[in-house]
Amino acid sequence: MTTPSPIPVVVTGYGCVTALGGTAGTTWGALLEGRSARGPVTAIEVEGCRVTEGAQARLPDIPRLSSKRLARLSRAARLAIPAAGEALAASGLLGEDGRCRVPRLEMSVATTACGMELGEGFLRAILNAHPRRTLGMVSHYQAQEQVAEIQSVYGFQGAAMIVANACAAGANAVGHAADLIRSGMAEIVLAGGYDALCELVFAGFDSLQTLAPDACRPFDRNRSGLMLGEGAAFLVLESEEHARRRGAAVRGCVAGYGQTTDRLHLTQPAQDGAPLAAAMKQALRSAGMEPSRVGYINAHGTGTRFNDNAEATAFLGTFGDTDVRISSTKAALGHTLGAAGAIEAVLCLMALETGALPPQINVNDPEPSVARLLVHPGERKRLEAAMSVNLGFGGSNAALIFTLSGNRS
Amino acid sequence: MKTMEIEILSHGSVSPAGIGTELLESGFPMMIHPETGGHPVSLVGRSDPALQKWEQSPRLRRASPISYFMVEAVSQALGGVPGIDLSRTAVVGAFFLGCMAYSVRFYSEMHAGGRRFASPILFPETVFNTPLSHVVSTLGIGGPVHTQIGDKSCWATALRTAECWLRLGMAEHVVVVGAEEFDPVSFHAFKAAGLLRHGRLIPSEGAGAVLLGKASGGSPLLSHLADGYGFPSKRVAGEAARECLASIPGNDPVMPSSTSWTAGIESRTAGDRLLDPWINRDFEASTASAAWNTIRASKLIAEGAFPGIVVPCWGLTRQFSMLHLQAGAAEAKAHP
Repeated sequence: MTTPSPIPVVVTGYGCVTALGGTAGTTWGALLEGRSARGPVTAIEVEGCRVTEGAQARLPDIPRLSSKRLARLSRAARLAIPAAGEALAASGLLGEDGRCRVPRLEMSVATTACGMELGEGFLRAILNAHPRRTLGMVSHYQAQEQVAEIQSVYGFQGAAMIVANACAAGANAVGHAADLIRSGMAEIVLAGGYDALCELVFAGFDSLQTLAPDACRPFDRNRSGLMLGEGAAFLVLESEEHARRRGAAVRGCVAGYGQTTDRLHLTQPAQDGAPLAAAMKQALRSAGMEPSRVGYINAHGTGTRFNDNAEATAFLGTFGDTDVRISSTKAALGHTLGAAGAIEAVLCLMALETGALPPQINVNDPEPSVARLLVHPGERKRLEAAMSVNLGFGGSNAALIFTLSGNRS
Repeated sequence: MKTMEIEILSHGSVSPAGIGTELLESGFPMMIHPETGGHPVSLVGRSDPALQKWEQSPRLRRASPISYFMVEAVSQALGGVPGIDLSRTAVVGAFFLGCMAYSVRFYSEMHAGGRRFASPILFPETVFNTPLSHVVSTLGIGGPVHTQIGDKSCWATALRTAECWLRLGMAEHVVVVGAEEFDPVSFHAFKAAGLLRHGRLIPSEGAGAVLLGKASGGSPLLSHLADGYGFPSKRVAGEAARECLASIPGNDPVMPSSTSWTAGIESRTAGDRLLDPWINRDFEASTASAAWNTIRASKLIAEGAFPGIVVPCWGLTRQFSMLHLQAGAAEAKAHP
């Protein structure tokens, strides 16, 4: 999307599961209290890693599923199903029987690791030369299986685009859903992302020595890395006209979306922040919006030296002379990879709705370049627009802009 | 079913038959891999000079085979339209298994040596979007980039993404590439999932790419796309297949493209609309196979053999989708 669209895209429901709560509301409450979900990781094997703490979620109950069926699901599906259900219910799409009122509902979904613990189990069985009783692992591992589980639980079908653009994928999924609606190719889309903690990814980040040995401190001069987390978030996006026709309440609008690819390096963003700045400018252009109208940015803010440097430079270049407020909620929720962009989209919408801003926790000695922009505990601001940005391995950059109503300047 | 407005302008391929789309009509060579218990597989000749030349690229020095397959196939597709503006060109990659080789290697080494000794060099190469990132960086592509995953039917979803971007003016051209690489673990997964019990599936690998642009009448059109026909179990898959085909208008012939358990469904669904089978039909390289079938249909239409062809993408796990290719205005005039 490069220019303001003639088809406004609205959000009529959202939901999320994070390490701070099993719903959007509980997550939001804990965030505003300044809590961090950091703790020992017990859901997966981490013995031998340099860092063994992260933001592990408590799996919500899914009362409609039998214990036998629950046991077959990947951890990722256990996170994604309730988050999708909360979004569908909030948008008025679930009937009293818990089934979706529309038989076909397109999905735009992000993940980076699918049901990885099942894939790992299969691989262990092969490596140990015990490839028996592995059907369940193979048949529930891949991303289309988690999507199919969501469809099955809520009783709908339809096309599903699954994007795996690393840590920007969640934002890409939401942005692409908006693009499908703007282009007239869809009227309503369930968009979101999910990822669960898994051994391969945890040990991988540990091997890169990017995991913080203590608190995750985005934009602090003494930051020492990221905190891995897990979670899921989904949003119901639809054309304004479609929402009006079915009488759905509008919670916010997707006003702009930009995406770019940093071709410089596989894992490190360009330190001048130019590719991210280009994504943010694309999003602003597509929203028909000046930077000064964006009151809050949910930063990618992983807490790694390279990411936060690049991001701070991009923010200053684009928003330097505005009074924008910035925070990274990854200090509290952990880096949820494919879910991050979707969770942070939900948080932007909640900031717009409530006027409360999630504080930047764990910062004692802020980077001077962005010190004045970081959100303090208890801070409130009436927002016209909020932006969420994400960067990922492979050079993926994405920026989303949300407003409460209307998407034109 | 969605009506589309895009053209297939050119294509590229890396397959076990060799480099280039012309070789798709040659039989794929088979071999017995030491780790497949006598089951044949068909693999790309990794020492082909057309692939090895990419070793000069700094980003590809340590890259997995799938990255080489992709960069070569995409490069061929881009080469079909001289003077293309790469800054306004987008890429969508579609994958069933993606970068298997390095993922297996990373995990195996960690399993053997302990988590403390997990390789920081290998880990980034296990990430789904790494191969496409290498392609974009190596070829200097500047438009939107998506790595998409799913079963074979995600090829259709990737094409639909391309159409969305073209409609919105986010790119002037979009390359869609399907690619897979073989690893013995994927063979074991096929076996565990029961996909080898039905015959008609020889694991394979490679890449296929198509370059798409807005319809101008001079090339085969991607005119309709039916995606999202899911089946919660194989028992009801036949119904999903019938619904999917019924949503494509007309009675154009159907390209046989099934493997494993979908063979029976294909013959019952398409019946006498099925074209003669492709010599390499039973070689399953998932999204790469879907790309090759699309390329073959596009060529048959461009040659005037048929005014239109339906290409099914028989996802082996969850979904079916189908594409409808038709002659562009110029071809229709040449071959009334």
